[in-house]
Amino acid sequence: MTLVCFLSAIVIGLISTWTQAFGYMPSIGFNHFSVIHWIRLFSYPGFNSSLIATMISGIGATLLAFIFTFFLFAFSYHNQFWRLLDQALAPLLAVPHAAFAIGFLFLAAPSGWVLRLLSPGLTGFVVPPDWSLMKDAYGISLMLVMVLKEIPFLILMSLGALGRIDVRRSLAVGRSLGYETVQVWIKIILPQLYPKIRLALFAVLAYSLSVVDLALLVGPTAPPTMAVQVFRWFNDPDFEYRLLGAAGATLILLLVVSSIGLLYLLEAGVKLIFRSWLINGQRRSRFFLFSTLSNFLVLALVGVSIGVILVLLVWSFTWRWQFPDFLPATWSTQFWRNGVLQIGGPIWNTISTGITASFLAVILVIGCLENEILMLKRGLKTNTTKILWLIYLPLLIPQIAFLFGVQVTLVILRLDGIWLSLVWSHLLFVLPYVFLSLGPIYRSYDQRITDVAVTLCRSPWQAFLKVKLPMLMRPVLFSAAIGFSVSVAQYLPTLFIGAGRFDTITTEAVNLASGSDRRIVSVYALFQLLTPLMVFLSALFIPRFYFRQRKGMQI
Amino acid sequence: MLKLETVQIYIDGRPLFSSLSLEIKPGEIASIMGPSGCGKSTLLSAICGNLADVFVLSGDVSLNERTILALPMEKRRIGILFQDDLLFPHMNIAENLAFALPSEMEKPEKKEKIREALMKAGLSGFEKRDPETLSGGQRARVSLLRSLLAEPEAILLDEPFSKLDQELKDQIRSFVFETIRSMDIPALLVSHDHRDCPQGQIINLANQGE
Amino acid sequence: MNTMLKILVLSLMTLGSVAVHADEWPAITKKARGQTIYFNAWGGSSRVNNYIRWAATEVKQKYGVVVKHVKITDIGDVVNRLLAEKSAHRTSGGSVDLMWINGENFKAMKKNQLLSGPFTEKLPNYRFVDTENKPTVLFDFTTPVDHMEAPWGMAQLVFMVDTARVTWHPSGMKQLLKFAKEHPGRVTYPAPPSFHGTTFIKQALLELATDRTPLYQAVALADFNRVTAPLWEFLDELRPYMWRKGKTFTHGAPEMKQLLNDGEIFISLSFNPNDASNAIANGELPDTVRTYVHESGTIGNTHFVGIPFNSNAKEGAMVFANYLMSPMAQLHKAKPSIWGDPTVLAVDKLNAKDRIMFNKLPLGIATLSPAALGKVLLEPDSSWVDALEKAWLRRYHK
Repeated sequence: MTLVCFLSAIVIGLISTWTQAFGYMPSIGFNHFSVIHWIRLFSYPGFNSSLIATMISGIGATLLAFIFTFFLFAFSYHNQFWRLLDQALAPLLAVPHAAFAIGFLFLAAPSGWVLRLLSPGLTGFVVPPDWSLMKDAYGISLMLVMVLKEIPFLILMSLGALGRIDVRRSLAVGRSLGYETVQVWIKIILPQLYPKIRLALFAVLAYSLSVVDLALLVGPTAPPTMAVQVFRWFNDPDFEYRLLGAAGATLILLLVVSSIGLLYLLEAGVKLIFRSWLINGQRRSRFFLFSTLSNFLVLALVGVSIGVILVLLVWSFTWRWQFPDFLPATWSTQFWRNGVLQIGGPIWNTISTGITASFLAVILVIGCLENEILMLKRGLKTNTTKILWLIYLPLLIPQIAFLFGVQVTLVILRLDGIWLSLVWSHLLFVLPYVFLSLGPIYRSYDQRITDVAVTLCRSPWQAFLKVKLPMLMRPVLFSAAIGFSVSVAQYLPTLFIGAGRFDTITTEAVNLASGSDRRIVSVYALFQLLTPLMVFLSALFIPRFYFRQRKGMQI
Repeated sequence: MLKLETVQIYIDGRPLFSSLSLEIKPGEIASIMGPSGCGKSTLLSAICGNLADVFVLSGDVSLNERTILALPMEKRRIGILFQDDLLFPHMNIAENLAFALPSEMEKPEKKEKIREALMKAGLSGFEKRDPETLSGGQRARVSLLRSLLAEPEAILLDEPFSKLDQELKDQIRSFVFETIRSMDIPALLVSHDHRDCPQGQIINLANQGE
Repeated sequence: MNTMLKILVLSLMTLGSVAVHADEWPAITKKARGQTIYFNAWGGSSRVNNYIRWAATEVKQKYGVVVKHVKITDIGDVVNRLLAEKSAHRTSGGSVDLMWINGENFKAMKKNQLLSGPFTEKLPNYRFVDTENKPTVLFDFTTPVDHMEAPWGMAQLVFMVDTARVTWHPSGMKQLLKFAKEHPGRVTYPAPPSFHGTTFIKQALLELATDRTPLYQAVALADFNRVTAPLWEFLDELRPYMWRKGKTFTHGAPEMKQLLNDGEIFISLSFNPNDASNAIANGELPDTVRTYVHESGTIGNTHFVGIPFNSNAKEGAMVFANYLMSPMAQLHKAKPSIWGDPTVLAVDKLNAKDRIMFNKLPLGIATLSPAALGKVLLEPDSSWVDALEKAWLRRYHK
C-alpha cells in the first residue's frame, strides 16, 4: 500500500507531462492537442548532437561502469587491493555526485591541479593549454565522471547479490575442474550475478541518460545533453518552450525505455551467442596484465576521490592561486568563515529533510519486509519480482520526465513549497535505495532467533525491539546513511517541488558552481560532502561502540 | 597415490592438529573424522590448493610421486565435492557436465561421454533438464559425475552427504563409493558422522590435535 | 526623436503621479509591518547575496518587514513556478512576493499578466530616479515599463583584460578579431541564450550593422538575414581562433571571470563596471586586470524588481522595493567594496548631503570613471533577442 501511494504520484506527474507534450496547457491558452511540439523538438538546432552526446554519455557510462565493476570482481576479488576497496566503499558512496564533479573539474581541467603540478616543469605551459579535456562536445568527460561515481554503487549492489551465491565454493569447484579464477568468474559467476543486478543497472542507465546537475557541471555546452536542454526549456520565459520541454522530457523517457529494452536484447543475444563458449572447455586465458590493471583501477578510484577532496580543501583555503603554481600563493580562511555564517539555513534544510526522509524510509522498508515474513509464515507467496520492479520505478523513470507535472499537481492542491512535500519528494527516491541496501541483509537474517526470542518474552514487539533490531543495527544504520546521502544529493526535486523555498547544500553548490569563485564553491562542495560522510561514519561507529564487548557482532 | 608427509597447518602460530602423515592408494577412500572446528575442511582446502591466506602450511603433499604444493589450484587435477552440490543454475545438466570436459575433445565425443555417465547414474535422458527441477539425490549424483568427468587424479569430499535425507544417504553413499572406486583414484573424505566413512583408513583429527 | 518625446512625457507623468499617490504610503507601510516576503533573485554572486542580506536587515529594523532571499540560478525557474500557479488559478498566496527581472522576462510576464501593478508611482523614493538621463529605467529592452517594475540598479557592458599577459586591448569588435588571431584560444564569449552571451551578440550586431534603425523596431519588419549578415560573418571568422575552437562555450560572465583568472582566456566581459575592481579586491582576479569599453559605446540597461500577481504580501514587497531605491541603499550598493553597482538615481535630485556622499565614492583600481565609460547604447527591441538566439543556435549548435 505504501507503494501505491508513491506510484500514483509518478503516474500523475507523467500524465501531466505527456499532455503538455502534446500541446495541452489551458492556463496559457493552449487548448488543443497537437504534435507541433514534437516537430519543433526534432528540428531544434543541435538536436542530433545533443541526442548523440546524451546516448554516448548515458549508455557508455552504464556499460563501462558495469564492465569495470565486473573487472574488479574478476581480477581483484579478495586480494590486498580489495581490502582497500572494501574500507573505502562507504566513503566513496557518500561523496555526492555534484561535489565529486566539482572537485573533478578542479583536478582534471586544463587549469586544474594535475596540470598545475606538471607545469611548467614537464609541460612548459605558462597558461593553461587550450585542450578540450572537460565539457567536451561528445560528453566523454561527463561519461568519465559518471563511471567513477557509478562503480562503487554497482559494487555495493553486486556485493549484495553475491551474498546469495556461494562465491568461494563456486570458485573452488570451477578451479578444481581446471579453470582459472577469471574464467570461473566469467563463465560461472557472472551469468548468475547479472540477473540479480539487472534492475540496479537499469537504474544507473536511467540516471545517466537524464541527469541534469552533473551535465550542467561537466557536460557539453553547445549543444548540451538532452536533459539539460529540457531543463532550460522548462525555465524559458517564453511559455511555449514549456511545452517543448514536456515533449523533450517525454523523449528522454522513451530513450530510457528503449535503452532498457536494448539491454534486454543484448542480454538475450549474449546468452545465445556465448552459450557454446561457456562449455567449450577453454581453461586458459590471456589476461596477463589485466590483474595489474584491475588493481590499478582500485587505486585510481580511491586516488581520484582523495584527489577530489584534497583539491576542494586547498581551494577552500586559497586567497590567490595562479596557474601554474603548485600551491596557492596566498591563503585565507575567509571563505570558510563566510561559508559557516551563510550555510546555516541550507545545512539545516538538508539535514532535517535528509534525516526525516531516511528515517521514514527505513520504517517503511522494515514494515514492508516484516510484512513479507508474516506472509511467508502464512504460506502466502509474495511476488518479490513485482515488488522489486515497483520499488525501482522512481529510479527507472527519469526525474525530469515527471517532476514538472508533479509540481503542477501540487500547486493545484496547494501543497507545493511545504517542507512535508519536499520530504515526500525526497522519500520517493530514498526509499528504493534503502530497500535495495537493506533488503538482502534483512532477508538473510535467521528468523529462528526471533522465534526463540518470542517464546522467551511472549511479545513479538519485545522480540523485535530487543533482539532483531539490535542485531540488525549495523545494516539498518548503513542503509539509513545511504538514504540520507541520496536525499542530500537531490537537485531537481528540491528545485521543483520545494518551489524554491528550500535551499539545500546541493542547490547552493550547483548554483555557485556557475559563478566565478572556486573558493566559495569548494567550501560549499565540501559541506555537501561532509554532511553524508558524517552520517556514514556514525552509522559505522555507533554499532561498533555499542557492541564493543560483543565479538559476535563485529562483522 | 596421494601422499601427505608431516603436514601441519598453523593459524596465528598455533597448529590446528599435530603433524599428519598419510598415504592413500588408488581406489582407496580414506576418511578424516573429528568434531567441528578441528580443521578437517581446512586440511582439504590445503590439499586442493584453496587454503586461505591466514593459514600457513608446512610439510609436503604429493600426488603420483609429484609434489603439488607449488602448483595453483587449477593445475593440481584434484576434484572437490562439497555438501552443496553447486550445480550451475544457468546451465542445464548436460552443460554442467560438459563444463568438466577438456576443450580438445570433439563435440560428439563429449555428448557420448555425458550420455554414458548419466546412464551409469540412472539418470538417462536428463541432459536438457534444469538443475532446479532435480531432487537432492539426483543433484548430488550429477555433482559427483561432473567432478569425475574431469578425470582428476584424486578427489576430495567435504561432508558430501550432510545435506541429504536419511533414506537417501545410504543410496548415495554406495553410489559415490562404487563410482570412485571404479575410477581407481585415491579419495579423501571428511565427515563428522562415522556412518559416512567407508571401509579403509579412518583418521580422527581431534586425536591428532593438541 | 520619437523615443526622446516619449521619455519626456513619461518623466513628467511620473513626477505627477508620485505626487498624487504620496498619501497612500503610510497605509502601505502600516499594512506591511509583520509581513514576510520571498524575494526571488539571482544568487550566483556572494557579493550580491551579501548586499541583499544587508538590505533585508535594514528593512526589518526600519519597517518590520522580513525579507527572505530565495537564491535562483535562472529567473526562468520563477516564471515557471508562477506559470504553474496561474495554471492552477492560484490568485493569492503565491510562492513569490518580489522578483528581480528585466528584459524578455518582463515582456513575457507583462504580456501574460503575471505581474501586479502598476505600483512604482506609490513609492516615495521613485521621485529620485533618473528618468531623464537613464532612459533604460522607462523602457526595459524597449518594452514600456509603465510602473510595473521598480528600478534598482544599472548595468553597462564592459570588457576586462589582463594587462600582465598582453600588451594591447581591442577597441571594438573588429579589433577583437585581430586580437583573437594574435592570441588563438584565448578569446571567447558565453553561449546564447544565456544573458551575457546574448548581450555580446547584440553588442557585436550594433557595432557591425551598417544601419542601426531596424534594430530598434520589431524584428519582423526587418530583412533579418541582410541586417545580421555582418554579424555572422564576424562570428564565423572568429570561431576557429576562439577558446576550445568555439566547440564549447561558457555559461556566463562569472565563468569567464574564472577563466580570465586562470589565464585560459585573456579577455572577459561583465555587466557591472565595477566588477573587475571588486574581483581584484576579493582575490578573484589578479591586480593587473583592467576594464575597457569599445569606442562606439556599449550596451547598458537597468535591473528591476517586480511583484507577482498572486503575492499576498504586496505591501511588504513595495516597502522593500522602495527601500532599494532609497539614497542610502543605492549609496551602499554603489560602494566598490560592497557591490559597486551603479545607481538609478539622479544625483542632482538628491539633497546636498547625499549628493556629496555619491560624489565621494571611491573608484576601484580597475574601474573606469563615468566619463571614460563613454556612450551607453540602448538595447535593441526585445523581439530581436529570440530571433538572434535562434539564429545563433542554428549556426553553432552542431
